[in-house]
Amino acid sequence: MTKNEFLREIETVVEAAPGSLTGEESLAKLPGWDSMAAIGFIAMVDSRLGVVVNPADLAACKTVADLVALAGDRVQD
Amino acid sequence: MTRRAAVRALAHYLPARVLTNDEIAAQSGLWSPSEIEAKLGVRERRLAGDGESASDLAAEALRRLFDKAGVAASDVDWLVCVTQSPDYLLPTTACLLQHRLGLPKTAGALDVNLGCSGFVYGLGLAKGLIETGQASALALVTVDTYSKYLHPEDWSTRTLFGDAAAAALVVAEDGERDRIGPFVWGTDGDGAELLILRRGGAKRWTPSADAEPAGRGACLHMDGPGIFAFSLREVPKACEAMLKRAGRTIGDVDLFVFHQANRYMLEHLRKRLGIPEEKFVVHMATVGNTTSSSIPIALEAAEDDGRLRRGMTVMLVGFGVGLSWAAALIEW
Repeated sequence: MTKNEFLREIETVVEAAPGSLTGEESLAKLPGWDSMAAIGFIAMVDSRLGVVVNPADLAACKTVADLVALAGDRVQD
Repeated sequence: MTRRAAVRALAHYLPARVLTNDEIAAQSGLWSPSEIEAKLGVRERRLAGDGESASDLAAEALRRLFDKAGVAASDVDWLVCVTQSPDYLLPTTACLLQHRLGLPKTAGALDVNLGCSGFVYGLGLAKGLIETGQASALALVTVDTYSKYLHPEDWSTRTLFGDAAAAALVVAEDGERDRIGPFVWGTDGDGAELLILRRGGAKRWTPSADAEPAGRGACLHMDGPGIFAFSLREVPKACEAMLKRAGRTIGDVDLFVFHQANRYMLEHLRKRLGIPEEKFVVHMATVGNTTSSSIPIALEAAEDDGRLRRGMTVMLVGFGVGLSWAAALIEW
């Protein structure tokens, strides 16, 4: 999956407008980011990339780019 | 013919107080009632009243079970009570229930401190006691009043959990095939902090209540994403191990009844495992997540609406606090 495709998936999880996320956004300031969105993110990564994110690593994420980094080399630039 | 344990009947009891999504929406100001239902699959949940405790709920579920199964309390020779909200740290809730319901003094009785995996563990204990000749008619009751543990403003737990008790009568029957089992067990105490109640145990006990955690720290803590990730890691593996042990495939199972954690999680697990929707029971809209009672309440609902019929092969999977999980096949 490309980084752009992954960002579109995150937009669906947080119910943000398509194309609105760049990666620079702070999760603390992202309106749709809450514990249900974190669950939705784990579900999306499991469905699309076949891997279960470590929730401690997820809790340490500060930005959307950190979420992208969690996917490792499964997401390409 | 061999002595086999089998589930003869199920019953449950819900306390009277109803907490609706409308009330939660009005109090929290966070979501609309329909958003809560869309996310969790819960429309309303029941709460124990002031002064109403686990033994009250369990006693009523057991009375209903005895009526339904046509047995007298004096016929029951073992009682297993699965609860994490006992009336007291001691004595054991099962002992209180033995006296209250008039079970024989020759009966064995114990509590099992497990949550969402507890019904399946209880079935494993029942099978062992019955098939080794130690019990002939075992009442397995699951009960929790988690609502008492929840912080008034912790909406992630208040939207989810409902209080309830459920009871199953497990009896000895002669038969060629296993009616309960095989089982797959799982435990990972490394995840203890994901769902924990720190108050009330002996770890920090002093004669004064002042040393106890207070405020939010005194209430149930749930790390929702952590529990979700654990479930995605372990539940599919447990199901696959179960089928391998039983020499069956997903297609051989007539009905799947998982712990009713929340609809979102259930739907994700169902798709991940490739289980057809019509074989997968979701029953939580009017009860919420009732911890150890969720599987027997869903089983009873499936029997009432005709989806569960005698002779069917059913897979049960419980998972949650501990962390603890278990899967079993039963022949209904």
